[in-house]
Parts: sequence; C-alpha cells; structure tokens
Amino acid sequence: MSELICVGAIAGSYGVRGEVRLKSFCAVPEEIEAYSPLSSEDGSQSYSLTLTRAIKGGFSGYLGGVETKEQADAIKGLKLFAPRDRLPSLPSDEYYYADLVGMEVYDTGGVLLGTVKSVQNHGASDLLELQGEAIKGTALLPFTMAAVPTVDLEQGRIIADPPEGLF
Amino acid sequence: MSRSVWKGPFVDSYVLKKAEAARESGRNEVIKIWSRRSTILPQFVGLTFGVYNGHKHIPVNVSEDMIGQKFGEYSPTRTYYGHAADKKAKRK
Repeated sequence: MSELICVGAIAGSYGVRGEVRLKSFCAVPEEIEAYSPLSSEDGSQSYSLTLTRAIKGGFSGYLGGVETKEQADAIKGLKLFAPRDRLPSLPSDEYYYADLVGMEVYDTGGVLLGTVKSVQNHGASDLLELQGEAIKGTALLPFTMAAVPTVDLEQGRIIADPPEGLF
Repeated sequence: MSRSVWKGPFVDSYVLKKAEAARESGRNEVIKIWSRRSTILPQFVGLTFGVYNGHKHIPVNVSEDMIGQKFGEYSPTRTYYGHAADKKAKRK
C-alpha cells in the first residue's frame, strides 16, 4: 500500500440526518471527492465520500457507514487520508508538496545541506524550507531551475545550487 | 487615496543601488533588503531579493507580473504551514 496523504478532516456533524461537516486541504477543495474512498490515519477504516453542498468553512457530505448525527459527532476531528498513488501524475518540473517534503538536499559538490521541512509559496515562487545541521534554524531555497537544477524523486534527493547569501 | 502619479513609484534609494550593483556584477546572489515598502520596478525583474519579515530574509524571485507591487507583499510576517495534501510546486 502506498503512502497516505492527509486530504481533509471531519469538523463535526451537519444537520440531523447523518451528514458531516468536512474541511478539505486540497488545492481545489472540491477535488477531495475524487480521492474517495478515504481512510483513517492507520488505514483501518475506509469511508466513501459524497459531497452535498459547500458550507461556511468547507463542505457538507455523506460518509459511507455514517448514517446518524450521533455517528457523525463521534468522528469529529477524524483526519481523512488518500493513498499517494491516487493523485494524478504530473508533467515534468511539477511536483507534489508531499513528495518533496523529507527529501535530502545536496549542493553541487555533494555536501548534504539538509532536508526539506515544508514547501511554501508566498506569491512569488515556490520555496523549499530546509533544515539541517549546517543550517541555523531553517532556510528558504527558491524552487527554480537555477537554484534547484535536479530533483530525483526515486532516490529522494535534490541537487541545489543556492544563490550566495542564502544561508 | 492612491499615490499621485507625478511623484512616480516609491523605492528606497539603497534598494536601487543594491539592485544595480547586483546586476552589474552578474553574480547569482540574494540581495538582502529591509525595505518592505519599496515598489517593485521593471529593472528588478530576474533578480532575487531577500525581503526581511522581522525574523529572516524571505527569497523573492522578481517576475514581470510583480511589477508595481510592494516587496512586503511577498514576505509574510506570520507563519502558516497548512497541509500539503495534493498541492503542487512548479519549478520555474
């Protein structure tokens, strides 16, 4: 079974007919339905999902096996996961945040700079947040062809050519 | 009220000097600036600025669609991680 990725969470019940209030973490929030069936964090429970409408702060919908308000209340706070292999494949030079997080980053001389802690985007370009022994706190590396010439997903390593003054 | 056109865009003079020096040197470097209030000008396109957010310098690669905005808009002062889920990063 492939790695699980958190795509949403149950915020509580909605109404009295077993609907749930759902938060989506997807880039396009409605697409959470496309990843159904979703599972719990340990993979022991599986839920089919049908969205009914957009509501304040998320969506309402029906989960398979949840038919009453009491059942919906009982799973409040449950995080919903989808297998990584259910995400659509991407063109080259486009990567899922989930794939980049945890990768090791080396400079062009083969020296380990750190690992990717998170991926951020503040409106300019995507930024890799690195942490490691060589870095005080964390450092942000622009995710550009110039600064990150190689991304090897299979080996889980990134080759970076960081601009001067970044660390 | 918006800024009068006759004044032109506001840029701290040290930002202009640093950008000019970086462009002349041709080196691949982050230009550290503290001026979040400066307007992004066409001559900054292609340069990488490290815009201070009160804690550290956030790298900002300037592209054409950012002209006229302020540097501070691309360097948030609060951290929010959120969830990665199916979000995508594109190498430009």
